Amino acid sequence: MKIISRRTLLFSIITAALVALFFTTSADAAAPSPNDISTSTETFLDDSPPPPNRDSCLHCHIKGEESGVWTPLSRWIVFGTAGLIFAFGVVRSISAWKTRSPWKPLVARTAEWVDERYKISGPLSKVLKKPIPEWQRRWWYCLGGLTAFLFIVQAITGVMLAFYYKPTPEAAYASIQFIETEVRFGSAIRAIHHWAANGMVLMVVAHMVRVFVTGAFRKPRELNWVSGVVLFIVTLGFGFTGYLLPWDQRAYWATTVGTEIAGSIPVIGELALLYLRVGWNITSLTLSRFFALHVLVFPAVIIGMMGLHFIMVRRQGIHKPL
Amino acid sequence: MNESKSQDEKTVPFYPDHVAREAKVALGFAIVLIIIGIIGLFNPVGLEQPADPMVTPAHVKSEWYFLFLYQLLKIIPQSILGIEGKVIGVLIPVIGIVLLTLWPFIDRKPDTTPKDGRKRLIIASVLLVIITILTIWGGVS
Repeated sequence: MKIISRRTLLFSIITAALVALFFTTSADAAAPSPNDISTSTETFLDDSPPPPNRDSCLHCHIKGEESGVWTPLSRWIVFGTAGLIFAFGVVRSISAWKTRSPWKPLVARTAEWVDERYKISGPLSKVLKKPIPEWQRRWWYCLGGLTAFLFIVQAITGVMLAFYYKPTPEAAYASIQFIETEVRFGSAIRAIHHWAANGMVLMVVAHMVRVFVTGAFRKPRELNWVSGVVLFIVTLGFGFTGYLLPWDQRAYWATTVGTEIAGSIPVIGELALLYLRVGWNITSLTLSRFFALHVLVFPAVIIGMMGLHFIMVRRQGIHKPL
Repeated sequence: MNESKSQDEKTVPFYPDHVAREAKVALGFAIVLIIIGIIGLFNPVGLEQPADPMVTPAHVKSEWYFLFLYQLLKIIPQSILGIEGKVIGVLIPVIGIVLLTLWPFIDRKPDTTPKDGRKRLIIASVLLVIITILTIWGGVS
């Protein structure tokens, strides 16, 4: 039966040695030396220079003729124990190093930490490792992905522009001028947003033509086609609402013409016009509405629809044409 | 035939092979966009005069992707078979969108020969050519 552990034993030995050392040295210092008569305690308290070093008997010390506890034997015990502990530590360190678990980078350990708690590596790797047939390695199968890429570009640059844009008729024009002249890289961001928007319309149409020509809209992918049509309309809606935001002549009159076209649809036309313009004319209310549609409604719709679109593609795979 | 089929059946994992492939194309696009941005730094998209409801510019145009609709409305005759031409001009895109949405429920017969795909290619090309012509016409007029 183990009454005290090895660690406690070692610890108590070291403590005992240190305590013994402390008492011998402190007792030595406190005791008045018998061979020094000239320095008494009274003079020591005065501002006299410190007493000279007492001539301690070094060779007596070495030969072990000293009468204190700090004898060679005790020194051998104390330093010997310390040495043994050190050697033991070295051995333990070597064995710990030899039996260490393999080193992992911080990223891998973080991933393990997350996976241990949320157990996502299984389903995630199933999603990521899905085999993609080689016949899909044709340029027309990446049009949809490029549309998604351009949407991400639009989202990022759009947020950047929204930091400076002011959706009121008085301030909109000036804020675009501010973006183009004062904001660092503002004109570059606006140029990218402008041209990527046009590119996105082109890509959507190209993707749609590809799906149409390869016949990918047929059973079982009907709903994916429908969601694609919604995405197409929302993309055009993005373009239509975004065009008004600079509030210059081109924007104003293009919107006038566009809403007029919507207004001449039979039956629902007038309602559509009133809804789009918020009244009979294009005013600050129109600008607010277009801005809200452009930055709040359409992004929500397009992200939701894109999610559905991608999930359905993942579920069903890409249609293989004949 | 058999050999090409086995070539077709070969697969690569989505991640990292397929993603890397797509990323390369996206990177190409990103480079183009950065070049557009650099050009935009020195040559901004710019603005016209501030909006003025009182002054109608000489050439009012919509965005290029609505231009074909606009041009269609302009060239359509005043009245067709007693119906106002403008109404028909507006109904065409509306019907087009409805048709587009419902297309998978209309065209349901699966392809039997590669020729069926070619037929649709011809339909799409004709439509695209018409739209392109109308867009260019609208752009220059």
